[in-house]
Parts: sequence; C-alpha cells; structure tokens
Amino acid sequence: MIKKNSKNVKLKRAASTSLTYAILIGVSIVFLFPCLWLILASFSKSGSIYSFDGFFPSEFSFDSFITLFTDTSSSGYNYPKWFLNTLFISVMSCIFSTLLVIATAYTVSRFEFKAKKPLMKTTLVLGMFPSFMGMTAVYILMTQFNLVNSHWGLILIYSCGAPMGYLVQKGFFDTIPTSIYEAARIDGASNAKVFRTITLPLSKPIIVFTALTSFTWPWSDFILPKLLLKEKDMYTVAVGLMNLGETEFSRFAAGAVFIAVPIVILYFFLIKYMISGMTAGAVKE
Amino acid sequence: MSTKLSLKSKTKKIGNDVKEKFSKEHMKESFENKKEEVAVKTVYKRDNIKHFFQTANSNVFASMCLMGLGQLMYKQIVKGLIYLSFEILSIVYFVMYGGKAIYNFFTLGLITGDPWLEIAGDNSVVMMLMGILTWFIVVLTIVMYYTNIKDVYNTQIRVLKGGMPEKIGESLAQLADKKFYKTILALPLIGVLIFNVLPIIFMILIAFTDYGGDIVPPELISWVGLENFEKLATLGEIAPTFLKILSWNLLWAFSSTFINYALGLGLAILLNKKCVKGKAIWRGFPILAYAIPGFITLIGFKFMFSVGGPINQIISDAGGDVISFLGIDAKWTARAIGLVVNAWISVPTIMLLTTGILSNMNTDLYEAAEIDGASKRKQFFKITLPFVIFSTTPVLISQFIGNFNNFGIFYFLRGGLTLDGYFLASDTDLLINWLYNLSIDNNYYAIGAAISLVIFIITSAVSLGVYVRSDAYKKEDTFR
Repeated sequence: MIKKNSKNVKLKRAASTSLTYAILIGVSIVFLFPCLWLILASFSKSGSIYSFDGFFPSEFSFDSFITLFTDTSSSGYNYPKWFLNTLFISVMSCIFSTLLVIATAYTVSRFEFKAKKPLMKTTLVLGMFPSFMGMTAVYILMTQFNLVNSHWGLILIYSCGAPMGYLVQKGFFDTIPTSIYEAARIDGASNAKVFRTITLPLSKPIIVFTALTSFTWPWSDFILPKLLLKEKDMYTVAVGLMNLGETEFSRFAAGAVFIAVPIVILYFFLIKYMISGMTAGAVKE
Repeated sequence: MSTKLSLKSKTKKIGNDVKEKFSKEHMKESFENKKEEVAVKTVYKRDNIKHFFQTANSNVFASMCLMGLGQLMYKQIVKGLIYLSFEILSIVYFVMYGGKAIYNFFTLGLITGDPWLEIAGDNSVVMMLMGILTWFIVVLTIVMYYTNIKDVYNTQIRVLKGGMPEKIGESLAQLADKKFYKTILALPLIGVLIFNVLPIIFMILIAFTDYGGDIVPPELISWVGLENFEKLATLGEIAPTFLKILSWNLLWAFSSTFINYALGLGLAILLNKKCVKGKAIWRGFPILAYAIPGFITLIGFKFMFSVGGPINQIISDAGGDVISFLGIDAKWTARAIGLVVNAWISVPTIMLLTTGILSNMNTDLYEAAEIDGASKRKQFFKITLPFVIFSTTPVLISQFIGNFNNFGIFYFLRGGLTLDGYFLASDTDLLINWLYNLSIDNNYYAIGAAISLVIFIITSAVSLGVYVRSDAYKKEDTFR
C-alpha cells in the first residue's frame, strides 16, 4: 500500500517536472525565435524581405554588413557615422546622468532637511505627467539656446532629465544601515569623506545599474533625436534605421544586430546588478 | 526547530537591549543640546514675526533695506558683497527685461508681425516661455531676500551669545559638510527646473490658450480659459475621437498590465521551482528579449506581421489568402498583436523583478504551511501571491502608467495611420499617440496640451487610488 503510494507520488512528480520543462522550452523558443530570425536575416544575400523562404533567407552572405559599413555616401545611410553619434551621445549622457542621479539620491537619502518630503512628493507628481508632454516646450527652449541639431543639446536634455528618476537609487541607499555613517561621523569623517570611503564601495551595484540604464536610454531612444536632429549625418542609429523599408530588410537587421549585440553582452555580464537595482526600486517607500 | 527559534529570539533580545542602551545615551545627549537651544529660544523665537521685529537690531534692518548691508556691517565682506551684487543684478534684470517679460506674459504680445510692412511683431510663445522663466527668477529673488534676512538675524543671535560673526571660510566649510546637501542638490535642481518643470508648466498654460492650428507665431496667441477642454467634450470631430481613444486606452492599460504581470510572475515561479536545473540558462532567454533595444524589437515585429512578411509568405505558400494583420481594417487583430508584442517586451522585466523578490522571501512560512498540511495550491494563493503583490504594488503602479502611456508599440506597428471617424488617429492609437499626432505632427498644441492634462489626471488618480487601497499602504509592517 505504502509502496504503491510512493510510486504514485513519484509518477506525479515526474509528470509535473516534465510539464515544467515543456513550458520552459516553449517559453525559450518564443523568446529566442524572433532574435534568431533577425540574426539570420542580417546574413541574407538578397536583402529584401520578399525573397525570403518563409522565415529564413534562401541564401546567406556577409553582403548586408559590408554595404552597411561601406555604402555611406550614395544613399544617405551613413551607418558608421550614426553609430559614432549614438556612442558619443550615450557615453556622455551616461557619465553626466549617473553622477547627477547618484548624488541626488544619496543626498536625499542621507540628509534630513525641511524640504525633503515636499521634494519627494513633487517628484512623484511630476513623474505622472506624460513623458513627452513638454516636448514642444523643450523644442522651443532648444531653439532659444541654439541647440537644435546638436548632439550636446540631446546630452543636456538626457542628463538634466535623469535626476527625476532618483527614487530608485534612494531606495537602495536607504537600505545601507545608518549606524555605519554615524560611527564614521563620530570618528570625525566629513560628509564628503563618508561618501568617498564608505558609500561608494557599498553602492557599486546601484551605480552599475544607474550607469547601464542611463546608457541604454539614449542608445535606444528615438523620440528626442527624431525631434531635434535634422540632418541625416547627425542622426542616431535608432532614427536612421526607422527609415529603412521592406526591400532593405536585411540591412535593417544587420544594423540592428550590430547595436543590439554590445548591449545584450553588457546585460548578461551585469544582470546581477540589474536585478539588485530593480528590486531596490521595487521595494515600497 | 524550537531551539532555532529560541536562539533567534534571544539574539533579537540582545540586539534590542543594545539598541535601547544606545538610544538612551543618544537621547540624553540630544536633550542637553535641546536645553541649550531652548535657552536661546526664550529670548529669540525665530519663527515669531512680531517677536522678530521687536528684537532685530539695526544691522538686520539694514539688510532688509539693502541686501547684504547688514552682513557688511558685521564685517562679513564676501558674503555681504555676494548678496549685494545679487540685489543689483536682479534690479538691473527686472528694470531691463523682467518687468516687461511679466507684462508680456499676461498679454502674450500686442503687435502682429508683418513682413511687408517690416514690423517685427511679438512672438507669443517665446513671451510665455520667458514669462515663466521670469516668474522663476521672482521666486528666486524672494527666497534670496528671505535667506539674507535670516542669515543676518542668525549672526545677531550668535554675537549676542558671545560668538563672532561667521567667517567666510567657516561658511564655505559648512557648505562642504553639514549643509553638503545644498551644494550637491543645486545642479540637479536647476537642470530639472529648466528641462522638466518649465516645459510642464508651459504645456499646462498652453492648455488654456488658443495656440495651434492656424494660430502659430507670427500670429498672436491669447488666453481662452477652458475652451480646449470644452472642445474635447463637445466639438464635432474631436469629442467622439477622444471618447473612443480613451476607452481603448483604459482597456489596453488594464489588460496589458494584467497579462504582463500574470505571465511574468508565472515564469518567475516556474523558474524558482526546485526541480528546474540550469536556471541561469533558462533565465537567459527572457533576458535576451529584455536587453534588445525596444525600437529594434518593435520594427522587427512590424516586418514579421507585414503584408510581405514571413508569416504571410507561409500562409500564401500553403494556399491561403494574404492577411493584412496591421492594415486599415485590422482593428482587433492589430490590437491583439500589440498586446502580444508588449508582453514579449515587458514579461522579462516583471520576471526579473519578481525573481528578486521571491528569493528574498522567508521560507519558514512554507515549512509551517507544509506541517499544517496545506496543499501547494493553497500555499501559492495564501503565501506567495499576497507577499509578491504586497511587495510589487509600486511596480504594478509604474507598469500601469507605463502601459497607459505606451507610445512605442502602436507608433511602430501602425504609425502614421489615420482612419475615418477618427480625428488624426487610428483605432489602435492610445491617447499618447494621439497627443503626438496632434501636437508634434500637426501643430494642434493647445488641444494636445489639454489631452496631456487629462492623461495626467487619469494616471495620477488611478495610481493614487491603487496605492491608498493597497496592502502596502494599509499595513506597512506585515511582511517586515
């Protein structure tokens, strides 16, 4: 009786395990397939989506990648230039945004001052406005500052907008026990020194998270560059690739693969930090 | 089990004892500090205006007349000069530009430009923007004036207590240490004010003007009160479009948030099962989707479902008719594809988040439940789900707002499509897409701004409502 029962349990468990694996395999295919499709498409010989054999190209070659990097003048698709533009804008705004956000979050988390509560409430309310509601105004401002069609204008907007998202990082800093700071303060360390010798080493995860997110935002944003960049040579990759049609599908795929790969690799290496950063922001308060 | 428990409670008790001791000492210390402060306060109540006027000395009144004068009389030269030069600069500003800018803010320009008669004309939009900036400066001036008086009054108290007026070196040292937050927050604050707050205020004000359509500079813009909101509710073409889009927008936001959350949580729980080997590899596939820039995913899916795309090729190879998944008549298929694509993009995010939360979960609860004979299903509904929902309420809210304002999905899948029965929109467009079509592509700024305000009111009301009703708000300490 007991034996039969345990056999039954075993059978049930095996069934549930295999069901779990079946679902996982299904999920993996769902996520992998579109990526695989794009990667293979980038190696298509003909380039047009119409010549594909169902999902996958009938003939393979490196042609799309070669034209992507060599055919720069005739068609107005200067991919290498776009790539450099995107890299420049992303790196610069990553540096400035990270500095500003970390400083803001640390300050709001560590200092007690009268305006703190109102400041946080105001941030929450401002965050409720649709993101590009102010786009028209930003555009007019940029024309006033003479920064339309300039990469620095974009960097300025990205960096200045970044501190709005400081609440995630503040949540992380709040989890570092205050007793450490108090001890250091009693030992006579100044606030600046506390920040340098205690906070910075402890907050590596959140800094990595902030840097990564503030790098990927400009890297994949298409609204602001589309609004502010007027000349084709000034475009970022996102704006440039948006204009490619169905007959140039594999060219789009090649360009997409080329800018997606670095980001994907970065994410896989830093996923630990991403998760800790995301959960820090998710916890209430 | 019981020994483990008692040990735990013991360590907790010791910890509490230490805490109590520490806090007692701390309190004593702070109490002594307080005593000193109270002693000063009996003579100088800082917050009482009447009292302030009775006790303030001539230096303070000097600063009230001319910013920085009192500081100069206390021989605080640098600080005094800074305040003084600020006053001079602001007076120069208001005489030269500021006063006019405020006046222009109310009139929004009086002279219409005319290239034939070579009249330069007023640019109402710039006038409004500069008007708002000037209001900022007005506020700044008031704040500076106030701190100037407060500063010199504090010096007066300091001197009466037997101290010396603060030297400039000391003030700077304070800014680098105790008042470090002022130093650090200054720059981000200015940036946010100019690039976030100013545009938002501008657009809020635009909602009450007739800016847009034919009325763009050099034409003069004027204040119209609530006319734009009346148009949204009643005007022939706009009102029905608004209602149709609003109802679809709400349906979209609720259903996509629900789908993404359910699937993401399900996936996280599946990956958290003990029987799953190689979790890192399985997790890798959703992370792949998470890492690819959104616009690539969206354009890719558009190609996949396009008329000449692979799915239609397979259909036509099998002898079927080509289906226009995203075309003009494809109302519900396009909407469904939008939901699926959005799930593909957002489910990994939810999965990663809930994975982090599940791994933080206390496993003791499950052990206890197992002993009590609770089934797996019961454990899920009674322990896992409440815990996860409790700790992800903020995420749920931000997901809802994100989905409500999900611009990218239909911009890429069906961008640029406008349909009959809709005013510059299609049947999949969300309010945010309509806003974009109206204000960025077609210059209907005032209506666009009014829509933004409606979006703001809806999202803030929903998120506030959810937050206040949520367990996370009601019983803060349940799971801590």
